[in-house]
Amino acid sequence: MKIALINGSPKIKDSASDCVLQELKVFLEQQDNIIFEHHFRKPQLSTEEMKDLVECVALVFAFPLYVDGIPSHLLNCLAELESFLLTLNKKEIKVYSLVNCGFYEGHQNKLAIEIMENWCIKSGLKWGQGVGIGAGGMLPSLNNVPIGNGPKKNLEKALKQIANNILKSTSEENIFITANFPRVAYKFAAEMGWRQSIKANGLKRKDLFLRK
Amino acid sequence: MKLLIHDLESKDFKKIFPNQLDDTMVISDNGTIHHCIGCFGCWIKTPAACVIRDKYGDMGEYLSKCKEIIIISKCYYGGFSPFVKNVLDRSISYIHPYFVIRNGEMHHRRRYKNHIDMKVCFYGENITEKEKQTGEKLVKANSINLDCDISSISFVNSIEEMEGQIL
Repeated sequence: MKIALINGSPKIKDSASDCVLQELKVFLEQQDNIIFEHHFRKPQLSTEEMKDLVECVALVFAFPLYVDGIPSHLLNCLAELESFLLTLNKKEIKVYSLVNCGFYEGHQNKLAIEIMENWCIKSGLKWGQGVGIGAGGMLPSLNNVPIGNGPKKNLEKALKQIANNILKSTSEENIFITANFPRVAYKFAAEMGWRQSIKANGLKRKDLFLRK
Repeated sequence: MKLLIHDLESKDFKKIFPNQLDDTMVISDNGTIHHCIGCFGCWIKTPAACVIRDKYGDMGEYLSKCKEIIIISKCYYGGFSPFVKNVLDRSISYIHPYFVIRNGEMHHRRRYKNHIDMKVCFYGENITEKEKQTGEKLVKANSINLDCDISSISFVNSIEEMEGQIL
């Protein structure tokens, strides 16, 4: 079974989307699957890449939520892929999407998942399942925390569920999760992180509030 | 000031807006826009401005100076077109990285005090009912995140249908 894991983050490294895909990959490697890893960082796809993708039975997208939707470069890739798919007859492909956001609540990814579902309909593909992940900003800093432990407890449950569906080529209701970590603490940690980051760039804390 | 973000071709734009637009900044696609790279530089390196210094690097500032935003976009899967979405992705310096709880959910805090009314017109020949529902929910979600009001959301089949309706 050929499965494509597609990282839709524009970041070269340390993206939450990559963290999610690396954790998911472990659950998909348990059978005789061939896993292809793609990274859509630019707003264009090559014909070769699109040809490789349509050979897969499952396309698994992981991407960050941008302004309530899909990052524009990924959206452009999806539009190119739609045009390519419409030239083909064979389209027994299921689509799964894992969307993470910096907000605490996983359900804030709902519309991005809905847009992916609408893309599937337009492209003649089958929808598998979506997972909306809240507090995604934490994930890169939790690389050393084993999945299923501490703040990554809910993540394990959701990834096992979607992995099971990918392996069986089944569809199921979308699920929405957040970190096993209080919202107030997440907010505090995130804001402290912004203060540290701006100082690391040689600016002052008050510069976070600059206006033009 | 009004801010008009659109993805229309020049000839279609002239059809809809044959006269000079007063007090309106128009954001068009000249084929040079760079996509957001997710660096958060607009919050922590060059606060309130995008680090990518193309023609679209000051979208946050433009938003801060407008009272009305008008978006004309081809409907893509119930959302904006890649160009319009790109402009919106490049506009997050308008808001502040800190969080507030709004409607029981986490959202970003305001950076500016101005109030914006948002008007959105989606166009396209084959917009499905499901896509319309997604589009409406998307604009509402955008209005919560930008902390602005929606004056209208419309869906039209053709550019011609838009004539005389936008302003």
